[in-house]
Amino acid sequence: MVETPGSCSGSGNEHENGARIGVFICHCGGNISDVVDVKRVADEIGKLRGVVLSTTQMFLCSDPGQGLIEQKIKELGLNRVIVAACSPTLHQLTFRRTVARAGLNQFLFEHVNVREQVSWVTEDAEAATQKATRLIRAAVDRVKHLIPLDKRRISIHPAALVIGGGIAGLVAARDLAQRGMKVTLVEKQPFLGGRVAQLHTLFPTGEDARDALKRVIEEVVSHELVNVITNAQILDSEGVVGDFRTRIRIEPRGANSQLRQRASAVAACPEQTINEFDYGLSQRKAIYMAYPGCYPPIPAIDWNVCTKCGKCLWAVGGRGINLAEQPREMVLHSGIIVLATGFDPYEPLYGEYGYGIFPRVITLQQLIRLLDPLGPTGGRLPRNDGEPTRIAFIHCVGARQIEGVNQRQPDGKVKDYCARTCCTGALHAALEIRRRHPEVMITDFYQDIRTYGRGHETYYEQASEAGILFVRYDPRHPPRVEGNPKGDSPLLVRTSDLLTGGLDVEMPADLVVLATGVVPHDISELVGMYHCAVGSDSFLLEVHPKLRPVELAVAGVFLAGSCQGPMDVTEACAAASAAASKSAALIAQAQVEMDPFIAKVDEELCTGCQTCLTVCPYDAITRDETRGIAVVSEARCTGCGTCAATCPSNAIQQFGFNDAQVLAEVKALLQGAALG
Amino acid sequence: MAEAHIVQQGATPAAAGWEPRIIAFLCYWCSYTGADAAGTARLKYPPNVDIIRVMCSGRIDPELITTAFAHGADGVMVCGCHIGDCHYISGNHKTMARMPLLKRTLVDLGIEPDRFVHEWVSAAEGEKFARLVREVTERVRRLGPLGWPQRMRERGVGCGMSLEPWGA
Amino acid sequence: MSEKTDKAGGNGKLKIGMYWAASCGGCDISLLEIGPHILELIEVADVVLWPCAADFKYQDVVNYPDQFIDVCFFNGGVRNSEQEEIARLLRRKSKTLIAYGACATDGGIPALANTKTVEGIFAASYHDCPSLDNPAHVEPQPITQSEYGELEIPRFYPQVLRLSDVVEVDYQIPGCPPQAERVWEAILALVGGQLPARNSAVKVACFDKSVCDECPREKRKVKIKEFKRPHEAMAEAEWCLLEQGFICMGPATRSGCGALCVKANLPCRGCYGPSGEAQDQGAAMIGALGSILDASTEERAREMIDHIVDPVGTFYRFTMASSDLKGRR
Repeated sequence: MVETPGSCSGSGNEHENGARIGVFICHCGGNISDVVDVKRVADEIGKLRGVVLSTTQMFLCSDPGQGLIEQKIKELGLNRVIVAACSPTLHQLTFRRTVARAGLNQFLFEHVNVREQVSWVTEDAEAATQKATRLIRAAVDRVKHLIPLDKRRISIHPAALVIGGGIAGLVAARDLAQRGMKVTLVEKQPFLGGRVAQLHTLFPTGEDARDALKRVIEEVVSHELVNVITNAQILDSEGVVGDFRTRIRIEPRGANSQLRQRASAVAACPEQTINEFDYGLSQRKAIYMAYPGCYPPIPAIDWNVCTKCGKCLWAVGGRGINLAEQPREMVLHSGIIVLATGFDPYEPLYGEYGYGIFPRVITLQQLIRLLDPLGPTGGRLPRNDGEPTRIAFIHCVGARQIEGVNQRQPDGKVKDYCARTCCTGALHAALEIRRRHPEVMITDFYQDIRTYGRGHETYYEQASEAGILFVRYDPRHPPRVEGNPKGDSPLLVRTSDLLTGGLDVEMPADLVVLATGVVPHDISELVGMYHCAVGSDSFLLEVHPKLRPVELAVAGVFLAGSCQGPMDVTEACAAASAAASKSAALIAQAQVEMDPFIAKVDEELCTGCQTCLTVCPYDAITRDETRGIAVVSEARCTGCGTCAATCPSNAIQQFGFNDAQVLAEVKALLQGAALG
Repeated sequence: MAEAHIVQQGATPAAAGWEPRIIAFLCYWCSYTGADAAGTARLKYPPNVDIIRVMCSGRIDPELITTAFAHGADGVMVCGCHIGDCHYISGNHKTMARMPLLKRTLVDLGIEPDRFVHEWVSAAEGEKFARLVREVTERVRRLGPLGWPQRMRERGVGCGMSLEPWGA
Repeated sequence: MSEKTDKAGGNGKLKIGMYWAASCGGCDISLLEIGPHILELIEVADVVLWPCAADFKYQDVVNYPDQFIDVCFFNGGVRNSEQEEIARLLRRKSKTLIAYGACATDGGIPALANTKTVEGIFAASYHDCPSLDNPAHVEPQPITQSEYGELEIPRFYPQVLRLSDVVEVDYQIPGCPPQAERVWEAILALVGGQLPARNSAVKVACFDKSVCDECPREKRKVKIKEFKRPHEAMAEAEWCLLEQGFICMGPATRSGCGALCVKANLPCRGCYGPSGEAQDQGAAMIGALGSILDASTEERAREMIDHIVDPVGTFYRFTMASSDLKGRR
């Protein structure tokens, strides 16, 4: 049969004739009107078809300014409003609310940027006036195609899922629970605590890291609203904000609370493996406790090492150990998700500053373990003939690297970002050494000292006063660490010192400590699952660093701590609290409002060619098998519009940015250009 | 019927007072904010580039660009977040492949490469955006008017070579 | 065929015409493809113009009263002054003028020459072609003085125009050539007065959806790893050709053909023009194709794109004259 094609002009055309457009142009107190002749622009725009009112005002964002808009909408029956003012990033929401207060749909509003993109960047007043006129003219043509839109509303299941049981995850879970939210905290390792458990004391307060951690853990596990699951792996996740369903697998712990003689069980185990808790500086058993006082206070079995010999079982008389325990799967239902997946210390490449070649080249993390009284050496530094007498610190290892100078990482990039915690961390450790061993000579090789936090600069001052020698190296010629077979000390650090005008420095060292940077913990599976935006530094990317700092673009997913970038404990906890507040606010809202600029498939036009299916970054498009067409999940769609540009039949349109609207803008901007 | 056997090739001679008209499609999160940053820093650039805002550079349909040229744009710019920094994870990956493909096609249709510029501009790169606008405007100015609508009309598109609108 | 005496009309039968401008002639044959239906057509209609099939002279048409022809199928684009003149004449003489076939609707294959200059076309056709023997470098001139007096041939236009660039068109029937079954359905609708309101944007004898709608191949939702041309690899029979790396214009092409090419294991060439609400078939295809490359870096994307031979000819094979840009500058 012969088909009747629809109109070729896209949706919204029917509004054109009925459009009653009000145009409000802001002086911005001179910021705009000192350059742009706003009166003339208003006159020009007033001549356009459909424009009922074209006027100027000193400050449209002020109460009188907004009042004027409201009044004119009512008085003149305006059904489209254009504000030409500052950037929409500043006041678009303000004016949408103004328009809504006057009873008009808030999406029948268009914001034109004539300040940041016209008056502030254009020298010639005449040219600026013309440009402003063109931009507003384009908006006039665009708004004729606007249609009323409603914000999407989705109800929220009142429970939170926190992924990661380090300090950030714990703080987030605690804060959520304290606000009366049900929380499930999931940790991949058998024990809570994350990286903070591996620290000895915390800067800048000097308090014991594990004491602080213990306090948070107790607050979390004792709270009736929190459910803690350790040894748990995220398998997959589906759903959208308000209704996430996350499937997890709980690996068998092998031991349970009935186990009384815990130390005997561990002692009985004949298997040894590298202890990751001490960064490889010690060994642990197949059945183990991560550290004294860890939570849960029940040993766990490392199944990669355990041979199921049963010796632990014999040692405790069979009670509380189950070597045949099976993994379990469960589905967690939550309205929001907090990612607190943390970081890993940067592992230097083989040979980087002698790492891996010389055993006396260690990382800052290893040094911290060595200084820890509960660490592998009981707080003693490695002996050769005696305590080391010369220690060299090298800063910015695996941080602030320079393309072409530093060796590329396996991912093909260099770590060009500042890891932020290592300067203070290194000086903190250096001062601790100085306190315990005043005779040790400490040299600190650095590019810049960035002890940026509150109270952190004190460490630098103290270090200088304590006689720690600072040598500043040129990042383009980083120090070299060499063997020193003839000297008293086994190692030699060479560089030229910028502080003395490039004097060559040769410093013998018994111990070289690399102040290594941080890299995000590998969560590539979660990144795919939750469609996280990832920055070029591989850390997770928030929506806006200032305005929406701990939110992912995916609605309902929040970021806590160092999964988002290098942070010290203070900052990680602050971020976690922020994530908890935002999550709690969202849950308390009971339903979420989302921008309506989502994609929609025209069922008549969609062929089901499926090109869009592989394109959506959020898997929001699925195929309706019975009808053979594409369907957009409203809740999942974030409104990027990529599918709309992809659809070869233009059967997908993005609300607020449909073809008719954008094309009208293009054509209006080029009016006059066609005449040469 | 009109004599139209010989049609001049090459750039249309620039009329006195001619100014390049350039359309820039910018994603909201990075490049548009980058353009705002240029403004906040009071960097000056020529007034020839008119910005159209979309949420993601992935929304920039090649048809928007062909339409712009067909309606008299002398140049078109497309800017999005740097690869890896897309607010929508991978919207700009589509831009990354689409734009070179479109560019190859446009060059084959006689649009000089300098008239169609595709660059990544982050929210912090106000300086880069301003420089880009200066450079693109200068390059397009040197190329002269593209004048697509006039040229096609001279060749009878929409009217025939008798050069009377068929409605008449 | 109808008797010439019928041309004056008056027997109540529909008067139809078919004309052939810048096209290959396949459209004329495609009308015959309706097979035995042609006899049914003759029952209700008289042919009053069909230069390809019957002897009508220019003057015959000139002598018809205005609006004499009920339905005129015009195939081919407009490349020279004669074609424009006849298009205008037939517009005047016809109640309904239908652009028939890809050349009339979108420029078709001849409009690919819009990517060349007139000089280039003449050089290729009269001088550079290896099979030519033209030692005097003769080129056709609009006006030639000869021993028989002044001879005039139609003027060669700077580019191929669609029929709708020259005259108002009532309907468009796309396809190279239009599929007989669809055409017969359209003729029935026309006779029965069931066609939609006339509008040059209305395409009939086709569907709004794309060729994928009629394509039986399976989608595996994979991105394109590399581009291949049909002679370079054997396509897997059941699997989407585009996903295999053959540039199949199917997603960006209006359906109606019954997915003929893809069923013959060849990628769709795009002859029915843009699908759905798309206006510019090439741009629509570039938007789609650029979104499904398996390339994680710009370099890789460029490398893949460089493997596409003749993008303009691939994406605008049949629609250069109806695209946004219409041709080369």
